[in-house]
Amino acid sequence: MRIDPTEARRPSRWALALTAALAMASTATATATAAEDDASAEGIALFESKIRPVLIDRCYSCHSAEQGEAKGGLALDTRAALLEGGDGGPAIEPGDPELSLLIEAIRYDSFVQMPPNGKLPPETIAAFERWVALGAPDPRGDEPAEPSADASPLPDPGIDGQAARSSWAYTTPSRQEPPEVSDPSWVRSPIDAFILSRLDEAGLSPNPEADRRSLARRLAFDLTGLPPDPAEVDAFVIDDDPEAVERYVDRLLASPHFGERWARPWLDLMRFAEDQAHIVGNDTSLCYPNAYTYRDWVIAALNDDLPYDAFVRKQLAADLIDPDDEQGLAALGFIGLGPKYYRRGAPEVMADEWEDRVDVVSRGLLGLTVACARCHDHKYDPIPTADYYALAGVFASTVMYNLPLSDEAETSEDGEAKKPEDALHIIKDDEPRDLNVLIRGNVEQKGPLVPRHFLSVLSEEADAPAPLGGSSSSGRLELAEAIVDPSNPLTARVFINRVWAQLFGRGIVATPSNFGALGAPPTHPELLDDLASRFVSEGGWSLKWLVRELVTSNTYRQSCDITDAHRAADPENLLLGRMNRKRLPVESWRDAILTASGALEPAVGGPSINPSDPDAGRRTVYSEVSRLELHPMLARFDFPDPNAHSDGRSRTTTPLQKLFVLNSPFVTRHAERLAERLSQEAGDDPAARIALAYRLLFARPPAATEEAIALDYLGPSPDPSRWAAYAQALIASNEFLMID
Amino acid sequence: MSPDRPDAPSPISRRQMLRRAGAGFGMLGLAGACEAAGLLSPAASAAPLGRVSGLDGLHHPAKAKRVIFLFMNGAPSHVDTFDPKPALAKYAGQEPSETEFKTLRSKKGGTFMPSPFRFRPHGESGLVMSELFPHLSHFADDLCVLRGMHTDTPNHEPGLLMMHSGNQQPIRPSLGSWLSYGLGSENANLPPFVVLCPGLPVVGPQLWSSAFLPGEHQGMSVNTSDLDVHAMIAHLKHPRLDRSQQRRQLDLIQRINDLHRSDRPHEAALDAQISSLELAFQMQTEAGEAFDLKHEPDSLRDAYGRTTFGQSCLLARRLVERDVRIVQVYYVDGRKKQPWDTHSANDAGHRRLCADADRATAALLGDLKARGLLEDTLVIWGGEFGRTPYSEPAKKGDPGRDHHATGFSMVLAGGGVKGGYTHGATDDFGMIAVDGRVHVHDLHATILHLLGIDHERLTYRYSGRDFRLTDVHGTVVRDIIA
Repeated sequence: MRIDPTEARRPSRWALALTAALAMASTATATATAAEDDASAEGIALFESKIRPVLIDRCYSCHSAEQGEAKGGLALDTRAALLEGGDGGPAIEPGDPELSLLIEAIRYDSFVQMPPNGKLPPETIAAFERWVALGAPDPRGDEPAEPSADASPLPDPGIDGQAARSSWAYTTPSRQEPPEVSDPSWVRSPIDAFILSRLDEAGLSPNPEADRRSLARRLAFDLTGLPPDPAEVDAFVIDDDPEAVERYVDRLLASPHFGERWARPWLDLMRFAEDQAHIVGNDTSLCYPNAYTYRDWVIAALNDDLPYDAFVRKQLAADLIDPDDEQGLAALGFIGLGPKYYRRGAPEVMADEWEDRVDVVSRGLLGLTVACARCHDHKYDPIPTADYYALAGVFASTVMYNLPLSDEAETSEDGEAKKPEDALHIIKDDEPRDLNVLIRGNVEQKGPLVPRHFLSVLSEEADAPAPLGGSSSSGRLELAEAIVDPSNPLTARVFINRVWAQLFGRGIVATPSNFGALGAPPTHPELLDDLASRFVSEGGWSLKWLVRELVTSNTYRQSCDITDAHRAADPENLLLGRMNRKRLPVESWRDAILTASGALEPAVGGPSINPSDPDAGRRTVYSEVSRLELHPMLARFDFPDPNAHSDGRSRTTTPLQKLFVLNSPFVTRHAERLAERLSQEAGDDPAARIALAYRLLFARPPAATEEAIALDYLGPSPDPSRWAAYAQALIASNEFLMID
Repeated sequence: MSPDRPDAPSPISRRQMLRRAGAGFGMLGLAGACEAAGLLSPAASAAPLGRVSGLDGLHHPAKAKRVIFLFMNGAPSHVDTFDPKPALAKYAGQEPSETEFKTLRSKKGGTFMPSPFRFRPHGESGLVMSELFPHLSHFADDLCVLRGMHTDTPNHEPGLLMMHSGNQQPIRPSLGSWLSYGLGSENANLPPFVVLCPGLPVVGPQLWSSAFLPGEHQGMSVNTSDLDVHAMIAHLKHPRLDRSQQRRQLDLIQRINDLHRSDRPHEAALDAQISSLELAFQMQTEAGEAFDLKHEPDSLRDAYGRTTFGQSCLLARRLVERDVRIVQVYYVDGRKKQPWDTHSANDAGHRRLCADADRATAALLGDLKARGLLEDTLVIWGGEFGRTPYSEPAKKGDPGRDHHATGFSMVLAGGGVKGGYTHGATDDFGMIAVDGRVHVHDLHATILHLLGIDHERLTYRYSGRDFRLTDVHGTVVRDIIA
């Protein structure tokens, strides 16, 4: 995350970062170019979000005075050069896209076709047209930036902070009036109105409600990560109470397995691990045998439905809120279990560690890629370099700490436990310090000192961002408060979007850790805002409230069937006219195997296990997680690299995964156990065994064809090994892996 | 560097991707990843697609199709192998001047130490190498020696990560992962990126990590401590079912899957699961065959040397022969994770290590050549950095050499590089690369170039920006390209 690739060609940028930092440090208002009217503000926002990035990416390599390359005599890096144009005449005619050569060229409808290596996407062309129609407002100066070491007092501000601040993401969400829809009877919650309204516009109808068995299985996996109990499914199927779904949901929300299921996405987000990538020899000082206490804290907090604001506050600053609550201190693993890099202590290595902390907090909690601003002002979002160092200062004022777990623990002079097994690896405040901006991220090139403060774009006054900490504290508590302040426009939206993505298979914002200009725009912005607003005001930051709100909606209850209308009008299902068919993550997949074979140990919490050990019956959330060597089974099934924040799991389909399914001791042993269970619980009748297998694995009875296929495979008087092979085939099937 | 659309995570166009989707191991996963990212409609990615050439989607014609990276863990000494420094004899016993050489580590009282090994020109090209390579010297005219290598740090962990991923912290995809992501595999039955190592090297799996690239691009690591094929590849065989029994079981699974799919039309993810299950079944045979050294004649196995490294080099040849894209072979032995780290007894250590590495490397080049594979297989030989031209005094016994980052050598062969060619130079002492300087980023850029990839255009959008192997650095070393 050092320097943007485009940066390499723009040597003058460091000066800009420096100047912006200076401006910030002296609270000078260097960001000029305030929009004079709305059209201009819109145009500039458009320029920053849609035009400039494209110019830089696609055009400057051949048309930039600064880079000394102006093919056809045309440079595009100043407004003056655009107006002057090249060999063909002025590139743009402000206000009139139809007369603008630039528009003609990018539309590919004349003999000049730019960029030559591929037509721009239609939405980008439309953005250029709109921008020219608005008069082509352009915050850039009329001179190309000079590659000079002297910081000019009034620089090209990179991006226009004022305009960028007007992005939807920085406006506090508020209640939205649910829109009028074609079929009000379908609207069970405000969510449905927002979804149906968009479907109406597209001429699509929502799918009917999924059948009860599918719904039972979907809800059980989504809420607890475990398959449903067959008896409960049967009861649910015949429950004709109009509130049957709500009651089923409430039972699942009350299960202690709820916290186990929802902890794992959080652990992905905060890069939970029990060791470090750099372990030399048999050095165990970088292993954290008690890291599981943090995991247990998260599970318990989610089961207790600790409000999200408190959940975040404790993880960043439990020691500053209630230092005597020893149990609560485990929450500090959020930072305390973060990566430590080789040769820590060296300035450049510590700078890398601060980046990890800033990254996990900013992408994880705020959906902003603040770490991009470590070496230069953020290219696309209103995040100056000074903001990065203002936040990094909080973590520079915080140190890793081995809290002794008992009075008997051997401690060093400073009170830290000597042995990892006696310690809770957390954090505490160090001598508070502000950081200098490091110019271009170089630890040897110090720029101005930046007082610790919150992100300026999220502060009431961008010129006077909220201070964090002071001479006696790191500022972690103030940082936590600023993040969970109800006026913070991002925190609730980002969290809700992650939960939405877990349940619906895709976020309302498809880039869950990037709500900035380069992130995906929300498919349903009013819905996200309404939910964010209600999450805080009605739901009191409760995850269980939120999950209940989402899964009891008619939107969630739809079937997964893909119709021809869907394929034609909305192949990617952005409008949610059907439920997305999801694949079980490795945790639920392994847990479902354990449940079916009867080997699942339901105890909540405790030390880690080896998940591929056939005799380990505890849930997959308790797997050992190593930065040094990620468990091969987890790695094979898309578990994220715990060395950094994960913004979501990739979904790969590989033969190596299938080799595990076909041949591993884990799967083959549990298939044997399942076969034994079938014989014990269903007796000698093959049809009864097959029926039980279907109920355990798929939450439904087998169809006649399925029974026939099974009997055909089993043959007359099958032995236990044939039954085991049959049980394994069911485990290896797609229906077991997928959730309708 | 400029994706067609802001969030396109692919270096190739959508059209190419559609054509290639499903064509091979990597591409299958790529199609899946794109589908997850909403780039391909489910219908599109399910289209039946045939095998296509690996050249599809390259930025320019490739000179190399495969890579074998022979990694000398711990870092070999350049002044004892490929970079003769007669001046060291003249200055022997003198301390390197701190003002002249800004050394990156404490010198611990070390003094310039000439190599005890004789250097001679070899082959028609007269390429110079030390007497430690009696076998490899026969291939002098195939070798391209980079004497002007330099890197950013003389410490193993960050140095290894730099050489593997272009970054000192364990957060970036490895070279092999980038190649797998960019090129996919031409053999659907084997993974595109295989790592051979007895146990683990220092740093470990992060060296072949896919980091933020989709997980299937991670190297498949194979523990070569035990060269028995079933010890090397996990889960290659069902504990009870034989092949025909397993075929019957697989047919049952696919019948169940067909029924399931018939009620769920247009769901491409189901097809992907079905075909990867079939591939896995095929791979049991193919991988079993590929990794089984018993298929090689004894004479050839002897020629490579009956050592872990020697046999691993032979394994590497068997893999590239089957179009595995990149094989990394680590020189690690059971007791030492970085045997080339000769802080003491440097000379004896190099004598012993080179005897093994020389024989195996030469056998590999000869074998590849005999099979016509060398011309489009790039072989890379070297470590994470070099060793100091001055001594590291040992508490007892003979002195060693310390880590050295500002000038060292690496050797390339095949894959479109000039043979019998020496590029660059260090100063008279072997301290600093002064001519034909090649940074690790430049080496990476050049490797990608040889494989038909513009290192500035192989990008992946992650965390709000486009990442590449070479970050913002890297220049292709055009002088060494044949």
